[in-house]
Amino acid sequence: MNFELSGEDAAFRDEVRAWFADHREQIEHTRAVDWEAGGEAFERYRAWERALFEAGLGAVTWPVEYGGRGASMVQQAILNEEYTLADAPNRINRLGLGLLGPTLMVYGTPEQKARHLPRILACDEIWCQGYSEPNAGSDLASLRTRAVREGDEFVVNGQKIWTSLGRFGDWIFTLVRTDPAAPKHKGITFLLVDMHSPGIEVRPLIQIDGSARFAEVFFTDVRVPVANVVGRVDDGWTVAMALLGFERGGGLYGPALFNRILRDVVELSRREPRGEGVAADDPDVRRRVAQSYIETRVYELTVQRALTRLARGEAPGPEASLNKLYWSEMKVRLDELALDILGPRAELGPGSPQAENDGGWYGDYLYARASTIFAGTSEVQKNIIAQRVLGLPRE
Amino acid sequence: MDFDFSSEQYLLRDTVRDLLRRECTPGAVRAAWASESGRSPERWRKLADLGVVGLTVAEEHGGAGMDEVDLVLILEEAGRSLLPEPLLETTAVGAPLLARSGSDTFRAEWLPRIAAGDATVTVGLAGSPYVADATADLVVLERQGALHAVTQDRLTLQPLRSVDRARRLFSVTAELGDDTLLSTSAAVARWAFDHAAAATAAELVGVAGAMLDMTVAYVKQREQFGRRIGSFQAVQHKLAETLLLVDSARSAVYYAAWALANDTPDASIAASVAKAYASDAERRANAEALQLHGGIGFTWEHDLHLWLKRGKALELQYGDADLHRRRIADWIYAPA
Repeated sequence: MNFELSGEDAAFRDEVRAWFADHREQIEHTRAVDWEAGGEAFERYRAWERALFEAGLGAVTWPVEYGGRGASMVQQAILNEEYTLADAPNRINRLGLGLLGPTLMVYGTPEQKARHLPRILACDEIWCQGYSEPNAGSDLASLRTRAVREGDEFVVNGQKIWTSLGRFGDWIFTLVRTDPAAPKHKGITFLLVDMHSPGIEVRPLIQIDGSARFAEVFFTDVRVPVANVVGRVDDGWTVAMALLGFERGGGLYGPALFNRILRDVVELSRREPRGEGVAADDPDVRRRVAQSYIETRVYELTVQRALTRLARGEAPGPEASLNKLYWSEMKVRLDELALDILGPRAELGPGSPQAENDGGWYGDYLYARASTIFAGTSEVQKNIIAQRVLGLPRE
Repeated sequence: MDFDFSSEQYLLRDTVRDLLRRECTPGAVRAAWASESGRSPERWRKLADLGVVGLTVAEEHGGAGMDEVDLVLILEEAGRSLLPEPLLETTAVGAPLLARSGSDTFRAEWLPRIAAGDATVTVGLAGSPYVADATADLVVLERQGALHAVTQDRLTLQPLRSVDRARRLFSVTAELGDDTLLSTSAAVARWAFDHAAAATAAELVGVAGAMLDMTVAYVKQREQFGRRIGSFQAVQHKLAETLLLVDSARSAVYYAAWALANDTPDASIAASVAKAYASDAERRANAEALQLHGGIGFTWEHDLHLWLKRGKALELQYGDADLHRRRIADWIYAPA
C-alpha cells in the first residue's frame, strides 16, 4: 500500500499541470462565454478541444493506433484532477470521446473506426446520444423508435429525448427497434445517424435552470445506410450496455470537483453572517461541514481503491453503480449545505447585486438534482447493486 | 499509487479468518457471555502462536515487527467473528504504546511476554467511565493528562455488567505514582486515542460486514407473499445503501491504518474520518439487519443480537461519530 505516484505518473502530472498553466488565457477566454449560446461561443469550446487534441490530451486513454497515447486509468484520473484544478472548460465532445469512441474500438467495423475516430478526436464532429425516449427512460429497452430495412438502408421513424448538445450535434448514436416481434431486449440495433440527414428535426428543451443544454430529436423517414450499424443487427443491446459501462465506470468521477466545492463551502461559512457572528460559529453548520469533509474524503479514497483495481486490469463491473450512487447523492448534499449557509440569500438569482456568486450555488444545486437521474437513476443503481453485487433475486 | 494489500497481507488475513471460524463461532461467543472470566486462554494462545498477538511487537522482542496496515485486516476479522479477547487493546494500542513510551528495561520486561501470549495489556483512556479487560497483567490508564502503566497489585477492580456480555468492563481505582508514569506527553495520549479509534473503526467494519452478509443470506431464503423477500425493491434498496456505506467505510479504515503506520500529518484526522464513517455505516447495518430479520432477529435464541450489541458498543467507544465530527470541524476551522 502506498499513495505516491510512480515516476512516470508524476512526470505525466507535471506535464499536464504545466500545459494547463501555459493555457491559462485560453481557459479564461473560453469560460468567459457559455457554449449553449451557440455561434462564436460554441466555437471557442471547439477550439479548446482542438488545443487539447494537439497537445495529445484529448483522449489520453485511447490506444496509440487510434490517436491516443495509451495512457492508464490512473493517468486519466490524474488528467481529470488537473483539469478540475485548472478550472478548464466543459468538454463539448465528451460523448464522442468518452462513450462512442471506446465502443467503436470494440464493436466498430474498420470503416467505422477510420471514418469516425479521427473526427471525434479532432472535434471536427460533435456527437449526441440517442437513447432515452418519452416512454423509455429507466426502462430503456422499451424504446419504440423504429428502423425498417429497405435495401442497403434503414428508414428511421420516432423520437429521442434528453439529447445533450442536440442543437450542436453532427452525429447521433441511437438505439432503434429493428424487430418489433422479438422480446424487448432483442430486436434493438445500435445505429449511427448523421444529424444533417433529411427528416431530422431538433427542438431545444428548456431545463429547470432556464438553459437549453438538451433537446428532443424527431426522426421522420430518415434514411441511414446499413453500414452504420455498430455490432450486429438486432444485437444493439449488447453494444448499448458496453457503452453504458463506459458511461458509469470508465470515468470514475474525479474527487477534485467535490474537494473544491467543500473548500468553497468552508470559505462561505467563514464569512456568511449568522446572528452576531458567521455561519461557521453555528454548531449545526460545523457538524454538517465536518460530515461533508468526511464524505468527500471517503469518496476520494474509494476512487483510489477502485483505480488500483482498474490499473491491474480488472474490468469495471457493477461496482461502478456504487461510485455513481455515492457521488451523485453527495453532490446534492454539498450544494444543499451551501444554500442553507446562504439562507434566504440563496434565492437571489443571476443579476441580483446581493446574490452570492451571481446565483451560481443555486444553479449548481439544480444541476446536482439532475445527476441522481441521468446515466441511471439512483433507484436503478440500487437495483443493479442489489442484484449483481449482492446477488438478490429479481422479481 | 497502490491502495490495496499485498498477497502476504491477504494470506495472513485468511489464516486468521480460518482460525476464528473454528475457534470463535457464535457458540463460542455465547460461551464467553456465560463463563466466569469471559475469556478463553486457549484461543488467545492460538492467536499468539500464529503471531497475531505480537504482530506489532518488534522482532527483537519476539514479535512480528509489523505495522498498522498489516493489522487492520485482522482487526476487521476480529470484529466479524466477535472475538471476545482484547486484541484491540493489546496489539493495536497497548503494545505499540509501551514500545513508544516505555523505558528500555520496561519494554524488555513486558513486550516479549505480550508477544508470547503470556501477558495481556489493556488501556483505559480518558473519556471512558470503564476499562475493558482490566484484569489484564498491565493496565495503561490515562489520568489527568498523563499515561500510567499499572500492574494488578496497584489496582482495585469493580466488575460492571455490560449489555454485550462478551465485553468485560471494570471500574478501576489505581495507586499511581512516579513509578507507574509512562508519559506526560499530550501527543502520546492523542496517538493512543487515534490508534484506539482507528482500530475500533476496523472492528466496526467487520461487525457491519457480518451483519450485512447474514441479512443478505436471510432475505434470499425467507419467503412471504409467496416470494423471497429479497426480491422486493424496498428490501433491495436498503441493502444496496448499506453495502455502499460499509464498503466505503473500508476505504476510510484502510487509509487511517496507512496514515498511522506512516505517521502522516493527517493521521489524527484520518482516524476520525474512519471512526465517524464506520460508526455511521455500522449503525445503518445494525438497523437494517434487525429490521429485515423481523421478529426472529429480536429473539435471544437467534445469534443476530450478539452482533447488534457488539456493534453498538463499538459505535460508542473511543469517540462516537459526533465526537469525531466535532474534532474534524475544529481542525477545519482552526485558525491558520
